[in-house]
Amino acid sequence: MPNDAYGVGASLLRKEDNRHLHGRGQFVADVKLPGTVDVAFVRSPHAHARIRSISVPPEARGHVFTAVDLPRVTPIRVVSHSTGAKSPPWPPLATDKVRYVGEAIAACVAPSRGEAEDLAAAVTVDFEVLEPVIDPVRDMRGSRHPVHEHWGDNLYIEHALQAGDVGAAARAAEVTLTREFRMQRQSGAPLECRGVLAYRDHRLDEVVLYASTQTPHTLRVALGEILGLEERRIRVVAPDVGGGFGPKARLYPEEIILAALALELDRPVRWIEDRGEHLLATAHTRDHHYKATVYADRQGRILGLDAEIVVDAGAYGLWPQGPYHEAGMVARALPGPYMIPNYRARHYTVATNKTPLGPYRGVGRPGACFVVERLVDEIARAVGREPNEVRTLNLVRPEQMPFTTISGMRLDSGDYGASVKLCAELLDLPAIRARQLQGEPDRRLLGIGFAAFAEQTAHGAAEFAARGASIIPGFESCTARVLSDGSVVLMVGIQSHGQGLETVLSQVAAEELGIDPACISVRHGDTESTAFGFGTFASRSMVMSGGAVARASRMLRDKLCRIGAHLLQCEVAQAHCADGMVVGPRGAVPIAEIAKVAHLRMDGLPQGVDPLLDATATYEPAISTGVFSYATHGAVVAVDADTGFIELLDYAVAEDCGTMVNPMLVEGQIRGGVVQGIGTALFEEIPYDEGGQPLAGTLADYLMPGAAEMPAIKIGHLHTPTPHTEYGMKGMGEGGAVAPPAAIANAVRDALFSVGAEVNETPLTPRRIMAAIRKAGEAHVRT
Amino acid sequence: MSEAGGNAGAAHNQASSAVRLTAIRIRLNGSAVADDVPPRLSLADFLRERRNLTGTHLGCEHGVCGACTVLVDGEPARSCLMLACACDEREVETIEGFAGDPVIDALRRTFHQHHALQCGYCTPAMLITARDLILRQRAGSAREIRDGLAGNICRCTGYTNIVTAIAEAARELRRGAANAQ
Amino acid sequence: MKAPAVDYVRPGSLAEAIDLLAKSQDEARVIAGGQSLVAMMNLRVAVPRLLIDIARLPELTAVADDTEAVTLGACVTHAAIEDARIADPSRGLMPKVASGLAYRAIRNRGTIGGSLALSDPAAEWPGVLTALDAEAMLCGPTGRRSLKCAEFTTGIFETRLGPDEIVESIRIRKLSPEARWGYVKLCRKSGEFASALAVVVCDRALGYWRVVLGAANGAPLVLESASRVVSEGAMGQLQEAVRDDLDRAADRHFDEFQLNLHTVVAMRAAQQALS
Repeated sequence: MPNDAYGVGASLLRKEDNRHLHGRGQFVADVKLPGTVDVAFVRSPHAHARIRSISVPPEARGHVFTAVDLPRVTPIRVVSHSTGAKSPPWPPLATDKVRYVGEAIAACVAPSRGEAEDLAAAVTVDFEVLEPVIDPVRDMRGSRHPVHEHWGDNLYIEHALQAGDVGAAARAAEVTLTREFRMQRQSGAPLECRGVLAYRDHRLDEVVLYASTQTPHTLRVALGEILGLEERRIRVVAPDVGGGFGPKARLYPEEIILAALALELDRPVRWIEDRGEHLLATAHTRDHHYKATVYADRQGRILGLDAEIVVDAGAYGLWPQGPYHEAGMVARALPGPYMIPNYRARHYTVATNKTPLGPYRGVGRPGACFVVERLVDEIARAVGREPNEVRTLNLVRPEQMPFTTISGMRLDSGDYGASVKLCAELLDLPAIRARQLQGEPDRRLLGIGFAAFAEQTAHGAAEFAARGASIIPGFESCTARVLSDGSVVLMVGIQSHGQGLETVLSQVAAEELGIDPACISVRHGDTESTAFGFGTFASRSMVMSGGAVARASRMLRDKLCRIGAHLLQCEVAQAHCADGMVVGPRGAVPIAEIAKVAHLRMDGLPQGVDPLLDATATYEPAISTGVFSYATHGAVVAVDADTGFIELLDYAVAEDCGTMVNPMLVEGQIRGGVVQGIGTALFEEIPYDEGGQPLAGTLADYLMPGAAEMPAIKIGHLHTPTPHTEYGMKGMGEGGAVAPPAAIANAVRDALFSVGAEVNETPLTPRRIMAAIRKAGEAHVRT
Repeated sequence: MSEAGGNAGAAHNQASSAVRLTAIRIRLNGSAVADDVPPRLSLADFLRERRNLTGTHLGCEHGVCGACTVLVDGEPARSCLMLACACDEREVETIEGFAGDPVIDALRRTFHQHHALQCGYCTPAMLITARDLILRQRAGSAREIRDGLAGNICRCTGYTNIVTAIAEAARELRRGAANAQ
Repeated sequence: MKAPAVDYVRPGSLAEAIDLLAKSQDEARVIAGGQSLVAMMNLRVAVPRLLIDIARLPELTAVADDTEAVTLGACVTHAAIEDARIADPSRGLMPKVASGLAYRAIRNRGTIGGSLALSDPAAEWPGVLTALDAEAMLCGPTGRRSLKCAEFTTGIFETRLGPDEIVESIRIRKLSPEARWGYVKLCRKSGEFASALAVVVCDRALGYWRVVLGAANGAPLVLESASRVVSEGAMGQLQEAVRDDLDRAADRHFDEFQLNLHTVVAMRAAQQALS
C-alpha cells in the first residue's frame, strides 16, 4: 500500500469502529469487578443553605459517608496567579454549607444502585435556608448572603483590557450601536454521563480509578494532592468515554470520594452518574451576559468596540483552571477575525448559587462570536449594505498575516474573506435573496445569515501562563515502541473519546515509519502505560499529540535506519523507511527483521547502538500562543412569525484548519460541533427560578438536537497550512460549535427584518421570537 | 443487605422488605434464559448487570435518548422503560445478538465506511433502530430516515453521516433483494 | 435514577386484576406499556407498592369493529394504531396522531388506554379522543360504566377513574365518509410533548363538529364557540370565536404567548379540516 493511502491526508477508516458496532466498547459502567458496591449521593435540594445537622437512620449506619467519615479528604483548591482572583475551598462533601442544588453531601453505599438510592432517600439533612445569589449582574458587588461569606462581594475576578482609544472612535463614529446579548446556561451533555469505578490493588499497592474523563493524568495529580497519596500509588484509567466535550476535563467531588471510599472500604466501589445528576452536578456552561457598543463609519468599517462581559460562574471553581479563564477568553476573542483599531472590555466572573461553570466545546468563543457577528450584521443594516460586504470589509486580509488583533491574538495565516465567499456559494446566497423577494408559499419568513470566526487552537505554555494558570498544558507526549516482530505501539498521554485518535495518530506514525497503520496500536487514557500528558481539550490533540507522535516516530525511524543500514551494508544517510522496510541503495530489510535484531539477536546490532526500539518525545508548537483555524458558517431558516417556531433549512461551513491528517475525521468533528452549536442556538437551556432551583432536570425539559430537526451540513475547505506545527496542522475540534448561534441568529434576524425584530438571546425559543416580534411591533407603534 | 432481605430505604422500608423476587424466562439472543429478579429491575439493568450484555447503554433512563433500545418480541423498545419481570415469556434481542442478520451486517459496514459513529455510545441502539426503519420500509429518503431517528440522540456526529449510512444500507439491501428475484 | 422497590403481579384476567386493585388500598398502580409509569418510577415521582401488569390481558388487547363504532382494547399500542393494523374509525386521524407520538420504540409498547388513564396534559390522546367524542369503558369491582372521554379527564393528571377501576376499552364512533378532520401539533422537537395541539373534527353526516385544544394546562379544552362557528362554516368569525373560548378559560392561566399559540393551532386545524 502506498503511503498516501494511509499517511497524512488519507481518509483512513477508523480502528475504533468495530468494537462499538458490535456493542463491545468498554465504558466505565461496563467494567465488572467481583464484589463491587454501588454509590448514590445525597445532594442538596437547596441553592443556598447552612447545614445544621445530617441524620442517618440507625440501620443505614456504616453505609452512609459524610465529610466527617472520610477525614483523609481535603477540600479542592484552585490556584490562580491572576491578580485579585479569589479561590474558595470546595469540600468534596459539603460540611457546613451548601451552595447549589445538587451539591454532594453524603455518599451511600449498597449492593445495587437502586438500594443506594433508597439509602440516600433515608438520610435527612436539617438546613437553614439562605437567600440565594441568582442574578450575577445585580449581585456581583454584594448580596444579603454572599455565596462565599467572607468575600463581601460575589466576584471571583474582574479585569479590564484596553487598546487604542475607544473615546476617539466614539467621536468619529457615524454609526453607533449598543446592544445587550445573552447566552443562556446549558449542559455539555455527552450521551454517556460521568462515572467512576475505584478499587484497591494490593499486589501493586495502589488505588485504581476507572473514570469517564478526558484528563486521566491530571486527575491523578489532583487525587494525589487531595488524598495525600503519592502518585506512584494511584492509577487512573479512562476506558471508552462516551463523549466529553469539555465537562469531563475537570476534577469532580465524586472522583475524590470514590477513591477515598475504595481505600476506606477496601472493595470496588462504583458510581455511575444518571442524567438527572448530570444536569445538576456536572459542569454547566456558557451563561454569559453582554452589553456592547460598536462604532463604525458609514461604509460599515468598524472604528471601535466597547464591551462589558459578565460570566455567571456558579458556586465553585473547578480544578485545575477554576472559573478564571472564560470571561478573559471572551474578552480576547471578541474582536474576532476583524481589524478593530480601538477596543475596551471589562469583564466580571461572578459567583452564584448555581452549578459550577466549566468548559464546553468552544468555551468563550461561541459567546464572543455571537456578539461580534450580530453587531457586524446590525452595522450592515444601519448602513444599508449586505452583511457579508461589511463582514469582508472588516476582516483581516491574507496579506496582513501574521496579524495581531487589538486584543493581542496573533492570527497566523489564511484568507478569511475567501471563507465568507465560499460559504455564501455553498448556500447560494443570490438564489436565497431571490426567493425572499417571491415569498414562501406557506407565508413563513425566509432568512439567511453568516458568521465568521478565527479560533485559537493548540495554545500552550505562553497562553496559559498569561492566563495565570497554575497548571500549564503546554505539551503532549508519546512513547513509540517497535516490538520484536516489527509491530508498533504508540503510548500517548492524550485521551480519545470519539475523536478517532487511535486511527489518526497511527496515520502520523505510518507517515514517518512507512508502516501500514493496521500494524500500529495506539494506547491512551491509562496513567500506567503512558507518559504524562494533559488530555483532550482546547482543540489541541492533533497538533500536540500528533506532533509528539511524529517526533517519537522520527527518533525510532533514525534508529531503524542505523540498524538497517548496518544490515544493508550502506551509509545511514542512504537508508530510509518505506513499505514496512528500511530501504537502501542496493536492497531493503523488513522492519520486522530489524526489530528482531534489536530485541532477540543483538549480535546483529551495529557498534554503539543499544538494543530496543523505544522512543519518548514531547511536543509543543514553536508558537505557544496558538495557531488559528478559521471558518465562516451560514444558515438558512424559515421562521413562522405566527408561532415563533424556526426551521433550519440549510447549513454550510467553509473552513480552513491547515493540513488535514484525516479529512473524513475533520468533517466528522465539524458536523458534530455544528449540531452542538445548533443546540446552543435553538434548544438547550437550564433556566433557574428565583429560589435557585434549576428547571431542566430531564431530557424532556433539556432539549438536545435530534436528527429530525437537523439539515445535512455542507462543508467546503480552504487549505492554508500553518508554518508553526508539524505538517501545517491547526486544531479544529471545537470550531464547529463556535459560529452556529451567531449564524442562526443572523439568519433569523434576516427573516424578521421586515417586521423589525432582532434576536440577541440564545436559545432562540419560540417564546423569545414572539417576544422580539411583539417588541418590534410596540416600537413601531411608538414611532 | 440485599434486595430480597429488605433495606433501609425510608419511604420504602416496609415495601422493600416485603418485595418478592419474580421468576422470569426470556428468550435472549436466541437462547432460553431463566432468572429471579427484583420487580424494580429494568430490562436494561437485567441485561447489563445480570447477563453482562453491556452493549445496551443507558443515557437518560427516562425514555428520551434512545441509547438503551433493544428488540422486544422483534420490535424496538426502550429497555430502561421496561421492567425485566414484564419481559417474562418474551423474546429480547440486543446488539450482541443478530448473528448473521443481513440488515445489521449491512449497517455495520456502511456505518464504518461513512464515519457514522464517534464515541460509540449511541451506536448499538442506532443500529437497532435503523434496522427497524429499513425492515418497515421507512428508510426511503433522508427525510424519512431523519424522522425515524427522532428518538435516538447522537451527541457526536451531527447525524449527517448516520443518515447517509442508513440510506446506503437500505439501497444495498433493496438492490440485493431485487437481484435475488 | 432507579425505580423504588415494588411488588409485581401479572393477573390472568381482567377480573383478577380488578380484584387485586381493589384489595391494594391505593398502593397499587396498574401498568400496561409502562412508558410513562416506569419513567416516573425511575425518577421516583411515582412510588407504588405493587404493580399490576395488564399489558397482555386478552380482554384488553381485543378490537371490536361493528357498524357504528370501533372499540379498542385499552392495551392497543400506539404503533398498532399508527400502522393501521387495527380498524380505524377516524378516517386517518388516529394513525396520523399515533405516528407523531413520542418515538417508535415508545409507540411499540405504550397504549392508548394507558395514555388516557394517565391524562398527561400535554399528551395527544385525551384531546383527540375528546374531539372524536369517544367513550371510555371503565371496569371496577361493581361492574362496568362508560364515560365520555370529554368528561373522563378533569385536570392535570386528574381523571374520573376510580381507584379500583381500570380502563377496559375505548369506543370510537366511526366517522362518515364525508367527514373531515384537522390536526396540528406544535412541538420544538420531533416526538416531544406538544407546546400546543388542536384537533378539529367535522362530520356533517353525523351533525357533529368539534374543536379541541390539548396541551392546555389541564383537561382537553373543547372550544364551544369555535365548534359552532365551524359547524356554520363561518371561517371569518373563527378567530374571534377561539379568542372568546380562550377568554372563558381564564382558569387555565394562559399567558400571551400560549393564547396566541392556541389560537394559531386552532385556526390551522380548522383550515385543514375545511379545506
